[in-house]
Amino acid sequence: MRRIFQIDGDETECWLSHDGSGMILNTPDGAIPCRLDPTGLPGGHELRAKGRVQDVRLAVGPDATFVHMNGRTYAIGRVDPSERLAGNDSGAADDRIVAPMPGVVVSVNAKPGDHVKEGQPLLVIESMKLETSLTAPRDGVIAEMPFAAGDSFGLKATLALLASEED
Amino acid sequence: MTISKLLVANRGEIAARVLRTARVKGIRTAVLRHSSEQEGPAHLIADEVVTIEGPTPVAAYLDIPQIVEVAQRIGADAVHPGYGFLSENAGFVAALEKAGVTFVGPTSEVIDLMGDKIRARAFVEERGFPVAPSAIEDDDPATFVERSRAVGYPLLIKPSAGGGGKGMRVVREDGALESEIETARREGERYFGDGRLFVERYIERPRHIEVQVMGDGQGNVVHFWERECSIQRRFQKIIEETPSPALTPEQRDEICETAAGIARAVKYRGAGTVEFIYAQDGSFYFLEMNTRLQVEHPVTEMVTGFDLVAEQLRIAAGEGLSAAQADIPQTGHSIELRICAEDATEDFRPAIGDILLLDEPRGEGVRVDSGILDGGKVTTDFDPMLSKLIVHGPDRAEAIARARQAVQNYVILGVTTNTGYLDAILAHPDFASGDVSTGFLAEQADTLTAPGEDVSDLLMAVAALSDERLVNDVMQIPEMHRKMGGWRN
Repeated sequence: MRRIFQIDGDETECWLSHDGSGMILNTPDGAIPCRLDPTGLPGGHELRAKGRVQDVRLAVGPDATFVHMNGRTYAIGRVDPSERLAGNDSGAADDRIVAPMPGVVVSVNAKPGDHVKEGQPLLVIESMKLETSLTAPRDGVIAEMPFAAGDSFGLKATLALLASEED
Repeated sequence: MTISKLLVANRGEIAARVLRTARVKGIRTAVLRHSSEQEGPAHLIADEVVTIEGPTPVAAYLDIPQIVEVAQRIGADAVHPGYGFLSENAGFVAALEKAGVTFVGPTSEVIDLMGDKIRARAFVEERGFPVAPSAIEDDDPATFVERSRAVGYPLLIKPSAGGGGKGMRVVREDGALESEIETARREGERYFGDGRLFVERYIERPRHIEVQVMGDGQGNVVHFWERECSIQRRFQKIIEETPSPALTPEQRDEICETAAGIARAVKYRGAGTVEFIYAQDGSFYFLEMNTRLQVEHPVTEMVTGFDLVAEQLRIAAGEGLSAAQADIPQTGHSIELRICAEDATEDFRPAIGDILLLDEPRGEGVRVDSGILDGGKVTTDFDPMLSKLIVHGPDRAEAIARARQAVQNYVILGVTTNTGYLDAILAHPDFASGDVSTGFLAEQADTLTAPGEDVSDLLMAVAALSDERLVNDVMQIPEMHRKMGGWRN
């Protein structure tokens, strides 16, 4: 079974194997023998990989694994490649603006059929008392603007959709 | 009077913090909880948790009739408002007064005066305290643009009813003045329902320095020294400290005495903060007075040894100030970091998520005022601040070192927070030397969010080895195939 890991927007497809003595993470750049052992702390583990012995704290969420290591916190998104092929994953990311968090629409500055330029403000949303202007990810034509000013929306709702490039 | 039962009309870390002191003082306690809100630390401390209703949690915490009714129903003789919500609402104070319940804070008249920036500024100026050159629209709306021009550039346009940096515009050249005034007016109308404006000379590279004051309502006022709060994003503070590294002892006395003088002039009652803009040449101007306990009050407690909530409760009970000015020390150095659920690399976009693992730092000189529990949820219902990490050290360098160690050991997994960003600020040489202004975070944005060492391989190894399905799959493959690798079923 394979996994696509997402770190800071970069994706890497990996698979795990066992060589008889230990686990190996196979990445496009090579095979990394690695080992993870629990320690006494909540979520605490000791990672051995690439010649390092590293104390980490970890928590496994539904779509991402969270790691605290050397004083910093990281989120590693996990995607099952077969689910992505089945179309359950977002895909065609630059066609749609997806809500980064639940909130309320403050104003809408474009309507279906409008030609927009990359970076052009399409709508303003408010979440957690902060306003954010969302802009067109590329040049194109608006296909859908499902929300009006005053509407509230949930996490990952599609706030604007551009007509796909082929149209 | 004595306070025998206190209702804390707030939530999160500040409710927990107020409740702790009330308990120590032997006061019975109650706190609010909206019907949709999860359990927080405050609910575990209070003797009583009262459910409140409202279309949104925030609306419920702002519902004056409901909260006054709760106070009467449970027999609370005093209400502590915390900060935010109803803490600076004169109508709330009046409603409590009518109901015979003591408000822990100043009088409604003082709240009204200081809540109106223009009236407050005029009051302070008339009594000879320093204010920045300005023009106030209400004085003569017809000549506002002309008078603004006369203040000189650069200038800052502010909504009269403003706060939190909303609607403020910096204008550097005459050509932009009129259009910026119109923009600021629209924003003022939208955010505060009030489009009136005023204009002030904009101080380049200013520092934000404020002074904690405490008054008995009879004209006796002491100060608890200053706090510097120049580290701000989106005009909101995220690191505060005391003493300010900018002030000489003479300047410190001058600014603290000025603040105490302003509080004396209004016969201030309770805890308040006088905020100043401090220019690079050492001059300073009154900005505003906050008539409540501030988020950053713990740094003051760390260097003075006073419990400011205990002082507030004492004053509310009519017992007066507990100390004379000469008895209030400023010992060592304290820094507060605001731990927020936000993504510093994405323009501080608020983050949400489930707290899957929480392990807060402890140790000598480390205090955590936390509003979250392990297993809790971070939602968009409230402000993104989750908790405050406060440290104390014998000097500033030691305080910074302790703050760095503590924030690096602050484990919050499951929601993006600013802990790494706060550590990057503490590590910056300009922060270490104290050479900062309120523009520091914007000027250093690229440095502060620069990616660290590439540890992607290590992270992927952790994610893979902790992925049960992935590991189980590998372990089920017969030995021979395992060696071949890349098995798929």
